[in-house]
Formats: sequence, structure tokens, C-alpha cells
Amino acid sequence: MNRVMLRSPGFKRLVACLAGSLVLAVMIGPQEGTQADYGYAFRQAVFKPRVFVFLGIGVLMFLLVTYWPRVTPYFTRPGAVALCTGLTTVIAAQFLLRWDDQVGNAKFGAVSRAVSNTSGLSPATTAFFSWLHWVQFLVIAVLAAFAVAQRNRMLAWVTAAFAVVAGGIAFYAHNDVISFSHVADHSFGAFTTLLGYLVVAVGCSAAALSHEQATHARDSIDRVLAWRPGLPIAAVGAAATIIAMTTSAWFSPLRLNASFSSTHDLFAGYGLSPISSQYLAWLGWVLLAVVAITALSSTYLRLRLGGWIAAGLGVVAVLLTVVTLYDISKIGADNNVDAATGPWQNLGSGGWLACMGFGLMAAGGFIAATAARTSTGSASPSTPDTAFVPSESQGGLSLRTASRSSKNLLFVGVVLALFLPPTMTEFWQKVLVSEIGVYVLLAIGLNVVVGWAGLLDLGFIAFYAIGSYTTAYLVGSLPHKPPAWLHMTPLLAIPFAITICIIAGVALGAPTLRLRGDYLAIVTLGFGEIIRITAVNNPGNITNSTRGPSPAVAHPRVHIGPVHITWGLNNLQYWYLLLALIVIVVILFYRLEGSRLGRAWAAIREDEVAAQASGINTPRVKLLAFAIGASTSGLAGVFFASQIGYFNPDNFVLNNSILVVAYVVFGGMGSLPGAMAGAAVLTWLPEFLKDQVPADDRQMWIGALVLLMMIFRPAGLIPARRRKAELGGLGSPPSSETRAVPASEGL
Amino acid sequence: MHYIHQIPAYVLLGLTRGSMYALIALGYTLVYGVLQLLNFAHSEVFMSGAFGSYIVVHAVVGDGKGTPSWAVPLVIVIGLLSGAVTGASVAWTLERVAYRTLRRRGAPKLAFLISAIGASFFLSQLAGKLFNRFRGNGFPKYFDQNRQVLRISTARVQVFEVVIILTAVIMMIFLDRLVAQTKLGRSIRAVAEDAPTAALMGIDIDRTISRTFVIGGALAGAAGFLFGTAFSFSNTVGFDQGTKAFAAAVLGGIGNIRGAMMGGLLLGLVEALVPPIPHIGIQWTDVVAFVVLVMVLIFRPTGLLGERLGRAA
Repeated sequence: MNRVMLRSPGFKRLVACLAGSLVLAVMIGPQEGTQADYGYAFRQAVFKPRVFVFLGIGVLMFLLVTYWPRVTPYFTRPGAVALCTGLTTVIAAQFLLRWDDQVGNAKFGAVSRAVSNTSGLSPATTAFFSWLHWVQFLVIAVLAAFAVAQRNRMLAWVTAAFAVVAGGIAFYAHNDVISFSHVADHSFGAFTTLLGYLVVAVGCSAAALSHEQATHARDSIDRVLAWRPGLPIAAVGAAATIIAMTTSAWFSPLRLNASFSSTHDLFAGYGLSPISSQYLAWLGWVLLAVVAITALSSTYLRLRLGGWIAAGLGVVAVLLTVVTLYDISKIGADNNVDAATGPWQNLGSGGWLACMGFGLMAAGGFIAATAARTSTGSASPSTPDTAFVPSESQGGLSLRTASRSSKNLLFVGVVLALFLPPTMTEFWQKVLVSEIGVYVLLAIGLNVVVGWAGLLDLGFIAFYAIGSYTTAYLVGSLPHKPPAWLHMTPLLAIPFAITICIIAGVALGAPTLRLRGDYLAIVTLGFGEIIRITAVNNPGNITNSTRGPSPAVAHPRVHIGPVHITWGLNNLQYWYLLLALIVIVVILFYRLEGSRLGRAWAAIREDEVAAQASGINTPRVKLLAFAIGASTSGLAGVFFASQIGYFNPDNFVLNNSILVVAYVVFGGMGSLPGAMAGAAVLTWLPEFLKDQVPADDRQMWIGALVLLMMIFRPAGLIPARRRKAELGGLGSPPSSETRAVPASEGL
Repeated sequence: MHYIHQIPAYVLLGLTRGSMYALIALGYTLVYGVLQLLNFAHSEVFMSGAFGSYIVVHAVVGDGKGTPSWAVPLVIVIGLLSGAVTGASVAWTLERVAYRTLRRRGAPKLAFLISAIGASFFLSQLAGKLFNRFRGNGFPKYFDQNRQVLRISTARVQVFEVVIILTAVIMMIFLDRLVAQTKLGRSIRAVAEDAPTAALMGIDIDRTISRTFVIGGALAGAAGFLFGTAFSFSNTVGFDQGTKAFAAAVLGGIGNIRGAMMGGLLLGLVEALVPPIPHIGIQWTDVVAFVVLVMVLIFRPTGLLGERLGRAA
């Protein structure tokens, strides 16, 4: 082969695609066992028919990349993005998610095998699990792609209807299986499939409704949200409540799934409190009707007062639902149904789904009540808005539409955070509390140091360790006991732990003020290791070494006047405590970002010398970054220590420090929602992958994912607005020559 | 005094360990010099060198029994070369996948660090999947590594120590000359000094960066072979060694080649000499190393020899 051919970009691309597919084959291949002949897995993966599959995928990738410019125009067609999202969601739901809690690994394949061996299910269910699921998927995918690409209105409507039906079939089939097996179910597969098909239907209807040849997906979403503020979210809420009231199980001990109406019959004569009894009998339906009608009408007609009424009624409905749930689960526990030991057990997902629905309707009403009156229903909301927008954001999202979609997202997030966890399995609740929640707190703290002040800290976990050990000391779980007046419950230890962490932050920051970038990285890394090794080596018996604090750190409890709360082993309780802590921290830090201090951090991050010249006291500002960043890890430490009770220095290894940095950057450096999202996604992922790949391979997949993410979206999941302006805003991009070496960025 | 009596032995241990650190640290320093980036995945280049050379050496000598003594140096050279080639190719791929793509996109600096961290997890676990996840893999015993060569006071110099120190010294001299005198070395220094200007002077920046990775990878791969020969290795061996080598590079002044050599040796000596002092204890080794690092950086914030690669030669 001649040189020209070897150097042609097409050839290089082909080689890269084939190499990538080979690596993929190896990643999916078998694990080397105990054999001493190294590379067994490689040979097994390569000398098998499977490798041809992967080479085929490589060639496909090559073709796709090569002809990408010809494909991209179709992605600007109205509805195309929604279509792709929906189809991907359906695929993911049918390949990755659980469809049942009982059968085998609970994936779709296992459930469909079980269904094929079972008689007595309805023919639609059997058909769906045997062949209908992929037939309907393929048909819808082809039809929708054709309709969207060719702008065929008739076909788009037909496909949209078909997609709704397909989602309905999936949902029905799953429900059929669940009611057949009579067990509580926590799987998301059918819900997600339904959601995916609904998104496909939305995409198709967008294609049918839109008169334009090309749109931008985000603009369309903004337009829908701006058309009648609060209407989409209220409609979703109404739909969710209707589903909750009609099909979902409200009370589901073993071998029973009582829906809303049968719950009433079930508890008749058990001394249900009047409110709950009325709620189950008729009040629930009335509430649904009233709230739905007020919310939908006031959002549609843009009635402020109506919006407020809908919001108020929605909140009342949520409270009543919660009270009812408490009552029925309390009575269930009093009668020892399925060995329940207290309230909140044996509840199905229906009640919580109703809470979500009512909450969303309330949110819709609230949005309608507070919406600005400037955009008066014109087709394009950005036209009247641009007048108010500072010129710097032109060409991107206008500030107002950005805040509109983020407001909707915020409400959805709040509702999910409040009412989704109770429907999760024990396992996921534990993951949520002891992994996701804690690391979200840590990531918020590190985001201050790394994202805002631009100081690379690779030993952040040390503060977490300090917070945890401080708590252990204060509650008397370490060999050295605190004096009696200092002995306290974990929640009271919060200010002390935070103070100690702030002091530790300053102690680390002070000697390292002169250091920059990677020097700082290695010193902080060393600091983290020093703390951990000290905890292991246990000088003067201060930490009880690798055995960890004993007796176990006490659980938190609150006794203020009439309020008595004791946190026990139930993860849900901790979740709500954690949620409160996170909300407080987020509000404080959100205020901090735009404050004088936050801007000073941005200044020293961009250019320390210039910042100093502008009169910023850089040592003080840097120390504050370390101290404030460390404070959340003190909080996280208190929570972690008292929740888990038992911990040891292995919880604070260097790897975890590096992971927290990865969370922050993965999510979007310097952006508060980004850091939280990054931490949540990357702590959720290993647990999710447990179902998908061998346990030993999880880190490999995560590493590959982080790598890909950084290659294709270097600014992170949710980039900070300031950074976004830096990356894409100013002038033309520099040429590839000057860009070969990254510009120094103060790190 | 038992401790003072043992000092020569500790010095020997420190030099052995230190030259290993120095070889890996050179890779960090070279990359930092041209890109001002911490190549976090360099530790996995070291690890892959160990595995790559293992496969080749295993293929050459089998289980190692009955290898004629005249062949031993040959096997060592083969091992070094195969380790170097593996390391170089892994480093080259790494640069292509995890660095060049991000450079093209003008990614923020920390994104490089995170992509390297991702690559590091990926490589280490992929090696675990392809080879094994045992803690202690050992090379075939094709020569008596612990045979005493000579004795200086209490220090019993063993074969593997001679091999390690000798190889390290040769490679470091070679690298020093390479950077100081060859055309490639000049272009590396030029890119380190001022990349845009170097580009104007007709230097292909991408190619220079790529070759810098290859050189660093070859050194780390060879170090992987040496480490595997002397101790045992696993798919996670890179992490600890890499961290220490990074510390060594910073100690000497990151971006400075002679600094990395000096930092590596110094760190090895400190780790060997300080913990055995009565009342300190071997479990504090890492703490001692990091405390020394912090002390040095407090007084010399850019390391012992300062930081420019361009200035080093």
C-alpha cells in the first residue's frame, strides 16, 4: 500500500473503527479464569464468530461516520430528536431494565421465557412477550423515520397513534404479568417503554403539526413550554394521577396487589380514620377531578388566581394522600399484615404516584400563577423576550426561556425526590442514601474548590474522613471518649464537624497557597493519603485502626418539645434528612456563586495575577475556597457516620478522592446542578451495571464511559453558563495549530 | 547502633526503588513539559509494559528452568525491548484517543485529567479482564535474581539491583542526550517552550507530542519489565507506583527531565532511609514520602530544579 492511501483520513477512520470494535469485542468477551496463559480472554474473544459481528459493527460505524454529513440534515426535521430519544429509550428499556422483581435476572428475556412457559395469560400478553415487542418496535421505527424524514403528515399521525397503542400494549402486558403473579413490583421496564413510545408519539405529532422544514429540538421544547406555562407539567401530573387511581397497586403485601378502589373494600371495618376512609371512598376521585380541572383550566386560560388555587389544592391533595397512606399502612402493621412492623410498609407504588401527580399539577398551577405576562401566546416566545435579554447571550438560549425550562425541571425534580424513593426497592434506597446522596454532597463541596476557584484537589476525601471521625468521637465511638458535656447526638455534631473540617481546610490551604496546578494536586493527594494512613496506623489509639469506630456510631435522633424523631435502620428516613441537608446546602451555595466571593473565585481561576491586580486578596479567597468546600464534607461525614454506623479507613482511599473530582468534571465543572448530576450518575452507574455486566468489569465500563464523555462532551453533562460562554462565545475558534496545546487556564 | 550499621543496605534499596520511580517519573515530566498536563494514565502504561514483557519472556523461556546463563542478558534485553514496545504503543494509542481528540475540541484543562483517569480505570480493568486479577504475578525465574554480586559493608548487592540501576542509568543518559542533541529532542524542547511559535517554525506539534508520549511510554514500559522482574505485578500495580512517580516528578520540578531523575532517586532514598529510623516504623513510609514532598514544595514551590523542560538541557 502506498503512503497516500495510508494517510488518507478515510483509511485512518476505518482503522480506528475496526480497532474500536475489536476492543468492544474484548470488553464483552469472557473473563480470564485461573489460567496462567495470559491473553486467554483476548484469544477467546478474537477467535470466535462474535468477532465478525464486531468487525461488522466497526464497518457500520465507519460508514455512518463517513456519511454522517448526509444524515445530519434529517436531524433538524421537526420531531427527529424526539423520535431518536424515544426509540433509544425503548431499546434501553427492553434490553437493560428490569421487568419484574421475581423472575431470574428480571430482564426482559427472563420474563419472556417465563411467560412462554406460563399458561393463563391473555393472548396479547403472550404475543407481546414473544414476538410483538420487537415487531411493533421495528414497524414504528421504520414508519416514524420515514414520516419524519419525508414530512408525511398523514403517516406521522398514524405512527403517533400506533406508538401510543404500542406503549399501551407494553404497559398492559406488564400489568397482566404482575397481577398474574401477585407480587409487589418495583421494575421500571414497562414504565420506561411506555415513556419511550410516548416520546416517539410526541415526535411524530410534532412532525405532523409543524410547518417548518427544520427546527432545533430545544427551541421546540421551549416553545411548547412557553405556549401555556405550566400546562405540560400539569397534564403529565393529571395523567400520572389517573394511572395511579385506576391501575396501580396502593397496598401490596405478599400475594396481593390492591388497587385504589379495592383498598377501600380491604380496609372497610378496620377502623380507618374518617379522612382516609372518605379519601378512599370518594374524596380521592373528587380531589383528582377538582385539582385536574382547576390546574388544566387555569394553565390553559392563564388565570393567576386559578393557578394559585390549583397549587393550593394540589398541595392539600398531596397531604391527604400521604395521610391516607400512613393510615392504611399503620392499620396493616397493627394487624401484622405480612409481618409489617410499623407504618409505611407494604405500600404499593400507586399512592406515591398519585402524590407525584398531584404535586406536578400543583407545580403547573404555581407556574401559571407566577408566569410573566410578557409573552402573549405568540408563536415564537423568543421574539418579545429578546428585548430584555442582555446582548451577551444572543445566539444561545435566551435567559428567560432557559429559566422557564429549568423551572419546570426543578419542579419535576422536587416531586421525584420526594415521592419516588418510597417506591424503590430496599437495595436502591440504600444506594440512594449511602452512595448517591453522600457523594452529591461531597461533589457540591469539591465543586467550590475545583470548579469555582480552579484549585485541583485530589485529596478531598480526607475532609470526609475528618468529618466522619469527628462525629465518631463526639458520640463516643472512638477509644478516647469526649468529656461528658461534649458527648452528643449526631445531629448536634454537625456544627462541630463542619468547624473541624473548615479548620482542616485552612490547615491544608495555608501552606499550599503558593502552589499552582499540579503541584497543588500532588500535595492535596499526599494530604489525603496522610490522613488515611494515620487513621490506619492509629497513633495513640485515636482511631481504633482498621477495625473502625466501635461501638457503632449512634443513629441520629431529635427531641425538641413534642417532636420526637429517631432515625433507625430505615433508609427512607435518612433520605428525607439528607434531602433537607442537600436543599439547604444547595440554596446556600447557589447564593454564594453569584456573590462577591464567587466572582472573586472565578477571577482567580481565570488569572490569578490579574485578580490580584484588581484588588482581590488571593490568599484569603483561596483559603475560603478550601474552607467552604471542606464544610460540606463535614456535613457528609456526620451523615455517613451516623447512617452507616460502622466505617473504617478503607472508606477514604485515594481512589474515592479521584472519583469525586471525576464526578465534578463529568457533570460540568463549576456548575452546581452539573456537579450534582455528575455525582448522581456516576454513583448510580456501578449499581446499575451490576445487572448488566460481570461485577469485576464495572470499573472498565465506567472508565470507558468517562473517557467517551470527555471526548464528545468535554464541558460535562450540564456545563456551567460561564464556561459555556468561554468555550463557544468569543469570536472564531483558534486554529488547530495554536490549539494543539491547551490554553493555560489557571489550573 | 543497628540503624547506622544498616545504612548502606538502605541506600542500595533506596537507589533501586528510586531508579524505578525515576523511569516512570520521566514519562510524567515529558508529557507535562509539552502539554502542561498531568498524564494520569501513565501508570497504566507502566502496568501494560509489565504484562507485555511477561508474555514475550514467557514465550521465550517458558517456565525459566534450564535457561543457559549466557542467554540471561539476552532475555533481559528482550524483556526490556518488549516492555518498551508495549508501553510505547499503549502510550501512543492513549495520546491518540484520550488527548488528541480533546485537544482538537479545545477542551478545558481538567477534562484532559478526567479523560486520562477514565482511560486509566479502563486500561487497568481491561488488563484484569484479559490477563488476570491476581495480586502477585511473577516472571519465570530464568536466573537467580537474588545472587549476591558484591558486598559493600552491610549492603549485599544482588543481581536484580544491579540490573535495575544499570538499566535505569543507561536509559536516563540516553534520554538526556536524546532531548539535548537530536532533532526530535530540539522539537520537544521547542514545543515545551512555546507551542504556537514552534508551530510557526515548522515543527509538527501533533507529531512531536505523539513522539513524546512514545518516549515516555517506552521508558515506563521498560520500568514495568524491571519492576515485574524484581517484585511481583498485577493489573492494579500501576496506581501506587504511578502516584509515587508523579510525586517524584513534582519533587524534582515537573517538566524538568533531570529534576524527575533526581526527584525519583531522592524519593526512593527517603522512603528507604527514613522509616527504619527507630520509633518511626515501616507503616509510615508513604506519610514520610508525602511529608518530605510537602516540605520541599513549601520552600521551593516549583520543585527542586524548577519546571521548564526547555531549560533542562
